Amino acid sequence: MISNANYLRGAVKIRLSGSMPERFINLCIVEHILLWGITKTDEDLIAWIRLDDFFRIRPLVLCSHIKVKVLAYRGLPFVIKRIKQRKMLLLGAILFFALLYTLSSYIWFVEITGLKNIPDQEVRTIAEQYGLKAGAIKNNINSKAVEREIALQVPEVAWVGINFTGTRAVVEIVEKTMPKQEDKAPAHLVASKDGVITEIIVLVGQAAVKNGDTVKKGDLLINGFAFEPAPTALEGQPPIINVPKELRARGIIKARIWYEGYAETELQQTTVTRTGNQQIAVAMKIGSSEVSFNKLPEQPYPEYETEIIYKQLPLWRNREVVVESTITIYREINTEHKEKSIEEARNEAHAKALQAVQSSIPETAQIVSRNYEVLKTPAEDIVRVKVNVETIEDIGQTINIYH
Amino acid sequence: MLRRKGRLQSLAGLLEIPQDIVMDLPRITMLGNKQLLVENHKGIIEYTPSLVRIKLSQGELLIYGQTLTLGNLQAEQILVEGVVQKVNYDI
Repeated sequence: MISNANYLRGAVKIRLSGSMPERFINLCIVEHILLWGITKTDEDLIAWIRLDDFFRIRPLVLCSHIKVKVLAYRGLPFVIKRIKQRKMLLLGAILFFALLYTLSSYIWFVEITGLKNIPDQEVRTIAEQYGLKAGAIKNNINSKAVEREIALQVPEVAWVGINFTGTRAVVEIVEKTMPKQEDKAPAHLVASKDGVITEIIVLVGQAAVKNGDTVKKGDLLINGFAFEPAPTALEGQPPIINVPKELRARGIIKARIWYEGYAETELQQTTVTRTGNQQIAVAMKIGSSEVSFNKLPEQPYPEYETEIIYKQLPLWRNREVVVESTITIYREINTEHKEKSIEEARNEAHAKALQAVQSSIPETAQIVSRNYEVLKTPAEDIVRVKVNVETIEDIGQTINIYH
Repeated sequence: MLRRKGRLQSLAGLLEIPQDIVMDLPRITMLGNKQLLVENHKGIIEYTPSLVRIKLSQGELLIYGQTLTLGNLQAEQILVEGVVQKVNYDI
């Protein structure tokens, strides 16, 4: 009943009562006063009129001998009037926006991301020192200066970026990747595996083994105590005690190592697969009596497996009467027997054995030979395969002398 | 007078000017039986929900119907809304 343009200017619903309301309408038409939504109830006319036109109809009302009564009013001028009467509401709205604006110009959280080794607190204290902390005004923070100071004062930092997202300041830090600190403690080089030594290159220390030696795991390969050739003691003097130098033994000790893997395969194989058919039985237990919701035959499928799910209420509401429901799922399964040829079984066992061995061989190892043998067994329906893998690899393992 | 009107009409036809402007005739547009727009009227004579009488340059227009309301009342046009049942042109 009221359009947008009329809403802005305000509109009034009036009741015209009198003998000749049509005359008044005609007068309005002549005066270019817009009326709309005119309806007649009994003897009275009801019409909508614009607010500014409403103040112009007074002379027309007087000469057409009718009475005008305002029934309703709509529009922005009336809303404004109402707001003017309720000043506290307006004040609240203004206060809300003002508060929102002021609070959003402060920093409330400082978040530091990208730290790996530097302690969080270290960066935080520097940032706080230069003004970047919770409660600071956003505009007063010179983020470039803070960035520079953090980068200067923490040597491990490669780059710092500060950006503000709302009331949160995010300090993004990229750390330098420092070269690893070399361990300089004196150490021995010991064997990490059993094997036969094939190659010795000593960089630091004194070799404790020679080519062709068989070593066990943990045996000393390169000695960290280096004995310098003792100067011959002069006659008449006590023999010089040769103090060994403590070194960190380094070197490459390669050894021949054997790995053994074993696997077996049965000629007869049964595989069990689910067919996908299933039936569900639901039962409910209240106290000692059991109610089942759907009856199933004793044996739903010729071959099947069952899964039973118990559902209980939490203990605290299940104290007096035990209520639980049992869902039993019967799944049909299909068993298949498969017979393999000896050849097939052997290949399979060989592959399995190799796989088992492979996991214990390091990637850097150089494989020298690989062979397998089929073991003789009294049982005829099984094939057993043993795999031997021979490798040459570095077995040196550094162990500190003093822990 | 009548001859002059006839001449005007033929001139209007020649120049393709809408005849309602030249002849000062009302233009009445109906949208189904829901709306009836009368342009170039001379005012309202009577209005009740079942009958609206509109004065024209010659004679008057009687609109019979149910729950008739005057939607938009301006100097040039009158919009009658509601259920229009009968329109009578009295000269």
